[in-house]
Amino acid sequence: MTRAAEPSLPDRARPRRSGIPLHAALFHLTAAVVAALFLAPIVLVVLASLRPASEAGAPPLPPWPTTGLSTESYGRLEAFGDGLLHYAGNSLFVALGTTILTILVSVLAGYGFSRFRFPMKKLAFVLILSTIMIPFQSILTPLFLILAKLGLQNTLTGLILLYATLQLPFSVFMMRNAFDAVPKEIEEAARVDGVTGLRMLVFVMGPLILPGIVSVGLFAFLNAWNEFLAALVLLTDQSRYTLPVLMNAVRSGRYGAVDWGAVQAGVTVMMIPCLLLFLTLQRFYIRGLTAGAVK
Amino acid sequence: MNAVSPIVKAASRAAGLDLRGVTKSFGSVDVLHGIDLSIAGGEFVVFVGPSGCGKSTLLRLIAGLEEVSAGAITIGGRDVTDLDPSRRGIAMVFQSYALYPHMSVAGNMGFGLKMAGRPAAEIAATIHAAADILHLTPLLDRRPGQLSGGQRQRVAIGRAIVRDPDVFLFDEPLSNLDAELRVEMRIEIARLHRKLGNTMIYVTHDQTEAMTLADTIVVLRAGRIEQVGAPARLYDDPDNLFVAGFIGSPKMNVLPARRVAGGVEIGGHVLAAPPLASAPPDGPAIQLGIRPEHLRPARSGEPSLPFTIEVTEFLGGTTWLYGKVAGDIPLVIEGLRGSTPVAGTRLAVTADPADMRLFDQAGTRLR
Ligand SMILES: Nc1ncnc2c1ncn2[C@@H]1O[C@H](COP(=O)(O)OP(=O)(O)OP(=O)(O)O)[C@@H](O)[C@H]1O
Ligand SMILES: [Mg+2]
Repeated sequence: MTRAAEPSLPDRARPRRSGIPLHAALFHLTAAVVAALFLAPIVLVVLASLRPASEAGAPPLPPWPTTGLSTESYGRLEAFGDGLLHYAGNSLFVALGTTILTILVSVLAGYGFSRFRFPMKKLAFVLILSTIMIPFQSILTPLFLILAKLGLQNTLTGLILLYATLQLPFSVFMMRNAFDAVPKEIEEAARVDGVTGLRMLVFVMGPLILPGIVSVGLFAFLNAWNEFLAALVLLTDQSRYTLPVLMNAVRSGRYGAVDWGAVQAGVTVMMIPCLLLFLTLQRFYIRGLTAGAVK
Repeated sequence: MNAVSPIVKAASRAAGLDLRGVTKSFGSVDVLHGIDLSIAGGEFVVFVGPSGCGKSTLLRLIAGLEEVSAGAITIGGRDVTDLDPSRRGIAMVFQSYALYPHMSVAGNMGFGLKMAGRPAAEIAATIHAAADILHLTPLLDRRPGQLSGGQRQRVAIGRAIVRDPDVFLFDEPLSNLDAELRVEMRIEIARLHRKLGNTMIYVTHDQTEAMTLADTIVVLRAGRIEQVGAPARLYDDPDNLFVAGFIGSPKMNVLPARRVAGGVEIGGHVLAAPPLASAPPDGPAIQLGIRPEHLRPARSGEPSLPFTIEVTEFLGGTTWLYGKVAGDIPLVIEGLRGSTPVAGTRLAVTADPADMRLFDQAGTRLR
């Protein structure tokens, strides 16, 4: 409490009426509107899933419960076929399998394309990339026939192979870029330190390309988790259904009526792993891990 | 505790290095043309040369990061030509530091030993001994991203020390540092060499680094060795104009001249010249090299060259006078301490025959 400090006190105590500048207010307003736009569907789906059974057959507008909350929709979902957990398990198996296979292959391929010299490397890379341009729906029939020949029709393993194949061109591209971003000298320093082959990939490169691996894995997981058409075509046995196919089956309720409640409950359940993944992994692909390596 | 440190090498134990006809081509581009070089154990050797002459390539061949196209490399009497970098007994410090960004300083330094499966206690002891030498102990838990440039370079050197190599390889390790830090690290590296006694090979662009650090300088040009020798030897007794011009700053003056009876003639003026063992093969036209500090004002009556000052550069300890001699041949001379020459001043300058170096038209030294 020295004298010199006193003059600042009334200044600080004065209410800051004109404190928030206009552009800051506009910024916050815009951000709030955009956030609301993105959050609205999620909120509406969750609310709709909580409509009681009496409302289930009613038209979907308004989407929120009007006569009290109820979890009956989840009950009906659970009662379908082998139970919700079984189908969630199917989906999880397919999504995780696709993720692991995609990461394994794309990391190895990306490493090869980034660091090794081999004949027709450029051509091979362009060919891989060009398959992104082919809509996979157009090759669904031949893919189905190939899987049938391999005895993999109507199996989750077949679905994993299919998803991983579709996921790979983009993932290989991503991983090659991730490896390209790692300075060569780090690898050379590791070679001097006696690191070769797979240990180089795991101990030296691995941590540096982690953001790339996370991105590739996340995309693979989400795409496999949400994919509908191929699963619908490939899976005929009801006990093998993945969640999107289950949704389709649940939708067509008795006597042609659409069970909107169960569908919304299913969508809510399907959202959970996606949200969890994004929230836990987002920092990985934001953070630059190579900071401080060179220069 | 440093005295008993396991990483201090007795000079007698330091390994020498031999290159025999080492050649390197990248595809159809020949980068090194048959390099022969012997380096004694414990020697500090500096590779210098213009950009793109193959210094880094030669260092990387020694390290084993590139394969030789032809020739052999032995380290400590052992043929390492086909060995992995980690089995050659070398350690390398890169220009860009090349630290592992995801590991702490201690992790960076101990990574090689960890990969070799050495016991944790031994790794820790070695890291601490190296950190002690380089004053890195307070930083051991930091990540490279949390260090300054100079500290990163010390970690990179520490990582090399921990490997306990026979030969240290440095590729322009200080060129990313600012001038002051560079001087500091240069002295630190010299001290390190004195202390560890290992063989060290050091690539640099920087003349001062080369002159101050080296026991032996290897001057390279376009993939060939131009001359090998102690700094003073290269400075005083260059084999050719390229070496003469490359070592020393400002450069040695080169004057077109003719051999005449009793000396050399430059633009009509005759100076006494050093004797030659044999007459130059290609006629009387030669090139005369004189270092700026060897040119002095002539005493009255002494044979001399007329010099007109155009620009003066005052550097504190010395002043360089730039101008034209004998018409319009550019020349630099060292100004006398205390005198304050101005542009336009005319001087009569000369040099002692013992300080003159003669070269033939192709630039080869005439002795
Ligand atoms: N991997 C490579 N492929 C093709 N040419 C290469 C390769 N590495 C180096 N070169 C060529 O070899 C020559 C020597 O390169 P090097 O890096 O050894 O030069 P340097 O003397 O270290 O130059 P600087 O002083 O600029 O570092 C250069 O002409 C370079 O273009
Ligand atoms: Mg270089």
